[in-house]
Amino acid sequence: MKPEDEIQAVREGFAKGGYICDKQIATSIFLSRKLGKPILVEGPPGVGKTELAKATAEYLGQELIRLQCYEGVDEAKALYEWKYGKQLLYTQVLKEKLGDLMEGTVGLKQSMDRLHEFDDTFFSTEFLEPRPLLKALWSEKGAVLLIDEIDKSDDEFEAFLLELLSDYQISVPELGTIKAKSTPIVFLTSNNSREIGDALKRRCLHLYIPFPDSKLENDIIKARVPDVEEGLRKQLVAFVQGLRTLELKKHPSVSETIDWARTLVLLHAETLDAELVRDTLNVLLKFQDDIENVDGEINALTTQAQKASA
Amino acid sequence: MSEVLTEFIRALRAADVRVSISESIDAGRTVELVGFDNRQVLKHSLGQVLAKTEEEKLSFDETFDKFFAFDQFKPPPKREDGPGQAKDGEGEGEKSESGQDAPSDGEGGEEGGAPSMPGQSSGGDGGAPQGAQSGGKPGGGPVNEGDVRQAGPNAPGGQNLLEMLEAGDAAALQMALAEAARRTQLNRIRLFTQRGMYVRRILEEMGLETLDQAIETAEREGTEAGDARGQEIREMRDGLRAQVRDYVEQQLELYTANAGKRLREEVLSQVRLSNVDHRDAKVIRQLVKKMAKKLIALNSRRKKRTLRGQLDVRKTIRKNIEYDGLLFDIVWKSEKVDRPKVMAICDVSGSVAQYTRFLLMFLYSLSEVLPQVRAFAFSGRLGEVTDLFEKEGIEKAIAETMHVHGGGATDYGMALEDFADLALDDVDHHTTVIMLGDGRSNNANPRADILDKIHDRARRVIWLNPEPKSLWNTGDSVMRSFTPHCDRAQTCASLKDLERVVSELLRTAV
Repeated sequence: MKPEDEIQAVREGFAKGGYICDKQIATSIFLSRKLGKPILVEGPPGVGKTELAKATAEYLGQELIRLQCYEGVDEAKALYEWKYGKQLLYTQVLKEKLGDLMEGTVGLKQSMDRLHEFDDTFFSTEFLEPRPLLKALWSEKGAVLLIDEIDKSDDEFEAFLLELLSDYQISVPELGTIKAKSTPIVFLTSNNSREIGDALKRRCLHLYIPFPDSKLENDIIKARVPDVEEGLRKQLVAFVQGLRTLELKKHPSVSETIDWARTLVLLHAETLDAELVRDTLNVLLKFQDDIENVDGEINALTTQAQKASA
Repeated sequence: MSEVLTEFIRALRAADVRVSISESIDAGRTVELVGFDNRQVLKHSLGQVLAKTEEEKLSFDETFDKFFAFDQFKPPPKREDGPGQAKDGEGEGEKSESGQDAPSDGEGGEEGGAPSMPGQSSGGDGGAPQGAQSGGKPGGGPVNEGDVRQAGPNAPGGQNLLEMLEAGDAAALQMALAEAARRTQLNRIRLFTQRGMYVRRILEEMGLETLDQAIETAEREGTEAGDARGQEIREMRDGLRAQVRDYVEQQLELYTANAGKRLREEVLSQVRLSNVDHRDAKVIRQLVKKMAKKLIALNSRRKKRTLRGQLDVRKTIRKNIEYDGLLFDIVWKSEKVDRPKVMAICDVSGSVAQYTRFLLMFLYSLSEVLPQVRAFAFSGRLGEVTDLFEKEGIEKAIAETMHVHGGGATDYGMALEDFADLALDDVDHHTTVIMLGDGRSNNANPRADILDKIHDRARRVIWLNPEPKSLWNTGDSVMRSFTPHCDRAQTCASLKDLERVVSELLRTAV
């Protein structure tokens, strides 16, 4: 199959699951699967970065494993931990059974040799509690691994991810290197609250998702909120697009447009008018300052939106 | 990896996109995967592999469009009313390659001129430059169709330059041009003074000689028709030369666009700020932004410092579960390294104003890593301009500051008094106070005692003086009385100096 056809297929597959995307995004999924590289997704909040990972998992029929990053996330929470309780119990059991085991041995050396006949089960996968990263590597069918908001984590953690991202393997000191059973698709998302290190960037494909244009946003609303009528849909999308051209603290994102569309459906609205917009503006804008600033523009924006849909 | 890709990556690097070796290997694999068939897919794919920030994506798109634009070759418009063409009006039936291109909407343009990327089908976003070409063609249409009868026998890549020119066969000419450019190693072009040489070499490669011979033979006939024919070829030759020159210039820009800029930036960062020309102001602004970005990247990670001797009980217990609860591995408490609070007290009179401008520009570009910057401006009296900078853009705020506080005789005593009234209470052991001024107090009392008070309270006091050290304490300069109360007093004349100061500020901040 030609690349562009495959990319188209990805798009269509996503569309079936209700995730509408442009070619750029589909291309990155295609490339990531073919090249076996993780994707670093950046963009303003609410444009569907996390959603992309979910949609991919659904499209490929694979499990989605999610690791939410925060300040202080470390190996024990991301990769694995030993089941200490179980290990302690095991020692207890071992103590009791030790007598039986050691029957017939003479002297320390012999008992030690006898003990060595049993494997070092103490640090074995039995006692390993897998965390998201390890789960993703162990997954038989392959998995979609989402490392969410990597910019929130510390840079030590970022460095720790490098081995995983380039070779799909991790080293556990007691066990050696664990390789992925099947290569997972890895998404890293970032809101750019800090600059991601070059080393990490180099290992990833870089996808920037901007706010969608009006056509794409229309399609998204159509897929996500099918109840909203076409006229209203065009108006509300035009309104939101207009809103994004203003100087605001936080611009409304796609998720907010969807919420707004749902709100309008609930209110049985058929067309936009200034009054309605004013009443529901808090769904779109999350800062009081923004709401106040926009107030003067509402009439103009509404008329503009009505015109755009006509 | 293909040569085209290597060249492209070189062009990208010239356009300030950082491409590492491993990324170029990835790019090679990507190209193997998607091929050159589909322009849009190629652009998206390479964009994700090679450009890793928003700015880089912009540069990438620009470079991609420039690099993969095989459309420069327009049939010389001069030929429309040339005497030689009208009588060639036969073979109307044959559809020319260019004839097919013309009606298609901006995509087809690539087909005509894409020797190394045949059969591009959808090139939606590369439309702009191609559209221009397609647009150019219908104009020359009727004439071209007449000529094209020769395009058949003279397949693309045909040897005879004259025939190609007469046929107006853009594709073949483009190919010949690209080939000649490759043979003359046009991609090694570095300086604009090399343009002429490369134009000549390429023309020679393409077969300029045959043209000259043709002109000579035509004109030697001595007949009127011969002269006309000679004239015609001459015009074609000139047209060709113009196009080759365009091509060379384009390539020069592609590979060296930023080399000149870089050199200029290098020079500008070291020149005394008061000597900066007005026309360089824009470059300097960008330069400040760039430096600030670098500093942000270096300092955006929050550093921690271990407090020795203070046990972190919670973490220690948690960590030692694996040792059966024996406190074996001890965790000490640590504290985060704070970002410094900065107060900048800036002289905005006359000669120092320029430095103030750049210092403030610097400090405010760093808002990501320096969240608390307060700025004060004075010449006679001092006033706080923090709000102004937060509300307005930097440029406007600076202009406003100069307007309100600028002018008038400098009076350090008065200014420091005002500062003590306004903000001395807010100076604490997290605060770094930066004084920017030449220390020339017009023989008024400098009130160094106030600076001493500030110094007692603040974490550090840094004095930046644009004058070289040899001029300190000459004339009415009172640096001598100020320096004992500063942790550091140094000359700060160029952007490089400024960067050093600010970088130190960030690095050692506690």
